Amino acid sequence: MISFELSEERQIVRSTIAEFGRSVLRPQARRLDTDSRIDDGVLTQLWSTGVIQAQAGAADDEVGARSPVTNAIVLEELGAADATVAVAMASTMGFVQAIADQGSAEQRSKLLAGFTGDRFQGAAVAMMEPRFGFDVSEFATVAAKAGDGYVVRGVKAMTPLASRCSHFLVIAQSDGAADAFIVSRDAAGVTVAEPKGALGLRALEMAEVTFDNVAVPSAMRLGEGNGADIQRIIDSARVGIAAILTGLSRGVMEYVIPYTKERVVHGVPLAQKQIIAFNIADMHIDVEAMRWLNWRAAWELEVRQPATKTAQLAYTYASQQAMRIADDGLQAFGGHGFVKAHPLELWYRNARTLSVLEGVAGV
Amino acid sequence: MVDFSLTEAEQHLKAVAHRENEIGRKYAREYDRNSENEPSYIRGIHPDVAALESPHAALRRGQNQTSGLVIAEALMDMVSARDVNLRDTGEDAFGSWMLKDYGTEEQKARYGHLKLAIAITEPSAGSDPANMRTNARYDPATDEYVLNGEKVFISFFNKFDGAVTLMKGEPDAKGKTPFVTVVVTKELPGVAEIPQFQKLGLRGHELSGFHLQDVRVPAIARLDADFGKTMSKFNHNRPLVAAHALAGARSMLDFTHAKLAEGGLKVDYAKGRSARGANEDKLIRMEALWEAAWGTVMRAKWLEHQMGSESHGYRVEASVAKALGGKVVRQITQGCLEILGPQGVSEEYLAEKWFRDVRIADIYEGAGEIQRILIARALLGYKNELN
Repeated sequence: MISFELSEERQIVRSTIAEFGRSVLRPQARRLDTDSRIDDGVLTQLWSTGVIQAQAGAADDEVGARSPVTNAIVLEELGAADATVAVAMASTMGFVQAIADQGSAEQRSKLLAGFTGDRFQGAAVAMMEPRFGFDVSEFATVAAKAGDGYVVRGVKAMTPLASRCSHFLVIAQSDGAADAFIVSRDAAGVTVAEPKGALGLRALEMAEVTFDNVAVPSAMRLGEGNGADIQRIIDSARVGIAAILTGLSRGVMEYVIPYTKERVVHGVPLAQKQIIAFNIADMHIDVEAMRWLNWRAAWELEVRQPATKTAQLAYTYASQQAMRIADDGLQAFGGHGFVKAHPLELWYRNARTLSVLEGVAGV
Repeated sequence: MVDFSLTEAEQHLKAVAHRENEIGRKYAREYDRNSENEPSYIRGIHPDVAALESPHAALRRGQNQTSGLVIAEALMDMVSARDVNLRDTGEDAFGSWMLKDYGTEEQKARYGHLKLAIAITEPSAGSDPANMRTNARYDPATDEYVLNGEKVFISFFNKFDGAVTLMKGEPDAKGKTPFVTVVVTKELPGVAEIPQFQKLGLRGHELSGFHLQDVRVPAIARLDADFGKTMSKFNHNRPLVAAHALAGARSMLDFTHAKLAEGGLKVDYAKGRSARGANEDKLIRMEALWEAAWGTVMRAKWLEHQMGSESHGYRVEASVAKALGGKVVRQITQGCLEILGPQGVSEEYLAEKWFRDVRIADIYEGAGEIQRILIARALLGYKNELN
């Protein structure tokens, strides 16, 4: 039954996160970018929303408590305020969900408790690798069977908040297929490099993590004997990224509208020029289209239908259109779009950065 | 609750619509070549489908088991290209619907048996109806209206009995000229039908027009359907225009997938963009356009289902669906023909036809630019500041 109806609970979640984004996150977005660090205070506030704890606390039979559709709504609202902070949450969420979704009973009971406390606890899916032309269909990182367990070897790139993660879910080639291994930050052979800085999402301190012959017991292979569904992790990440890009795009549009109405050019407000007005209309069209496509992908994940195709399309569409929207938004501001007095240049950098990442989010 | 599942009834309706389209496929080329010269040579019900459940009847019967009548209708419309309409049901008589909705009992008694088109566009007034020249002058001596002007691009006027026609009335005390809506029937002296338009595509959709020269109609011919009321129909129709065009684009995409598969390329949605070639990447991007547009049609139709078709509450969403649908079908059909290469433009296949057919979708029922003006006005809080 086709429906876009938001339950009362979802409406409350949406308005709560939207308000949090407006009043807490947006005013700090520039400072975070400049500092290239998310301070503990912001992370604590983010944590206090309870979104991640809700994922970790949900028992097997409580699928409703772990809702990809709700999470997509949350990530759009966070993304509209600050995509960087949205990824900070989504990245940890991706890890927690993979464990909650696919972990063995022992893995769930052992690991999830660490994400139900009062303080921010980072973790990440370590998927991307530091080479041009990297693709999620081929991993150079390998996990070789060794005795009772595995030895993981490889380098992962652009891992969000890597230095603040307690665990990584390392995606590695193992026995002819991609598989996932839970590796503690403290394990011997794990090295988190200094962040090199990046074009956008700077405050995420995305860094390389090296796994130098790290011994991983079989009990820490995600799903243990059954192995893991890596594609589901990729699909979920794509939907998460698309949700944040939807929010980012909406943020651009909402910022462009008042400015172009006030800015007078050749005697009339900029917004009365068709080229500008049409760009604004197109932003709205695309934000709507992104959101519905993304809700559909999230819904497929939620009801456990095959979601790979829709997730890919939602990610493809959002990546393409968000870049265009950030681009048009900057252009509408002219020189003011290029300088740091306004957030357009920041969003322009964030849009390109986020839309080329894979695996850094989960819904 | 957010839900994108289709009910069993909806899946059945889609299958019925798809079957009908597939049966029509073998007549598509012939109809494309001839229908402008031999209008409506498929009349009544084609023998190929006479014994089969009609999609329209199936929709009426099954509507209670759907997400909503207007939602199910759009789902059926998007399933695949309807190259030939194998059943002349008369449901395309838009003017007759207007009469049914806005006519008095007396007017319905007089004109209700007729099939009426709707006539709005003029050679120099398409998207800007304010520029309309066709006019009605009241003659108190005979209690008649005297009509003069010209209407073009009138769907199915050739086979209908007349048209509900939008025109300018006489200036009021403040000098403002109201729009009036008048039933024009073909047999009236001074009504001259013009020949069918020869056109790029959608050749089965017959299009003509008429001149009015001192045509006298009784006062009863004037409907109490003002311009705003006429426009309210657009909210219902605009997403359907997108849906019809998306159906053509759907067939085009399916054809392209099939032909590429014959050459060994099967699209893989799992891998990332670095691992795919140009054609595969392009196809995925076009599929994304299609699904994005699908979502906006469903959104508009779901809102319509909630609010009622006459509501203006979903007009922005109706424009969003129309604007995006109109845009993506251009991109998809152009892109698929580029991928298909020289063989794709051959009349041996229908791909080139779908490319031509869908192009009108970004023009009629409000061009893409008009939709964007409507959307931008709503976002910016503008009225005539933006035009």
